[in-house]
Amino acid sequence: MRRFLVGFLSGLVVLLLAAAIVVHFGWLDVSADVAIPGWLAHELSGSIHRSVIRQAGKLAPITPATEAQVIAGGKLFVNDCVGCHSEPGKPPSDFGATFYPPAPQFFQVGTRYTEAQIFFVAKHGIRRTGMGAQGESYSDEKLRLLAAFISRIRTLPLGAMELIHQKAQPAPETAVTPK
Amino acid sequence: MKSFLTGFLVAIVIPPVLVFLFFRLGFADAQADVRPPTWESRVLFAAVHHSVARQAAGIVMPGAATEERLVRGGKLFMNGCAGCHGELGKPFGEDHTNYPRVPQLPHIGTQYTEPQIYLVVKHGVRMTAMSAYGRFYSEEELWSIAAFVRQIRNLPVGVQERILAKP
Repeated sequence: MRRFLVGFLSGLVVLLLAAAIVVHFGWLDVSADVAIPGWLAHELSGSIHRSVIRQAGKLAPITPATEAQVIAGGKLFVNDCVGCHSEPGKPPSDFGATFYPPAPQFFQVGTRYTEAQIFFVAKHGIRRTGMGAQGESYSDEKLRLLAAFISRIRTLPLGAMELIHQKAQPAPETAVTPK
Repeated sequence: MKSFLTGFLVAIVIPPVLVFLFFRLGFADAQADVRPPTWESRVLFAAVHHSVARQAAGIVMPGAATEERLVRGGKLFMNGCAGCHGELGKPFGEDHTNYPRVPQLPHIGTQYTEPQIYLVVKHGVRMTAMSAYGRFYSEEELWSIAAFVRQIRNLPVGVQERILAKP
């Protein structure tokens, strides 16, 4: 038993030492424009998903959004998110691709996150990615609109993008009471 | 000897597996709007700095950090970087939204050298909000940004005014 303990402690020391050496000599490549192994990227994005599922599960269920709310969310999305996440009907964002991990192109790939989970991610951001927390700049009300839009981004009603791009249409906005 | 080896192997294998499972099962919090713990910032910032220093070894900035270059770099900074890294001549505003926090360069300056800054801007930093700008700026633009950021806290007299002057 004593030998096992001594072996265990030596193992721990070697492990920590190895980590310190890798960090100290700069052997960890940190360039954002070099891909990491696919399985690792898959595990990392999976760990974010599991974490968001766990944390967003505590949120109250979301009431179904009206079409006007989806359009209002689309207006917010087109204003602030398309720089990285690209606009429906447009090619993927060059800028979003330069992050590691790259910003997901929702219109091209959709999303496996539910509306409540999207709300949570938009509000609080995601650690160790380019996704910053938007809760400082958007009320919960507006974040709900955004989530309503993003969760339907691949199944938008016909003509939705035209409505979203229409300037000075007070109708959908008045349906929303900002915080 | 056999039990020593068993203990050694258990110590090498179990901690990485536990860390992997901790992340994989979703126990690592995702939300970015809290301040990272000091130990995490220390370890990760050190890993980035040492990695960039290794890659920048042997690279020398072509040309000198002339006032013209500083002004050019400063204008590019105000256009493309200040949104996250803070504006010249404005009061300090802590970043509450990104994890790890975005360094507010006009206030804290940087310990990175010009070639290191050049590499960070060109290739970005993995698993942070710093993306790779190599395809959006020419080499000369990248170097002028690097020259400017290096001296951001002690610019020659008059350079900040020239940067902030409207064209």
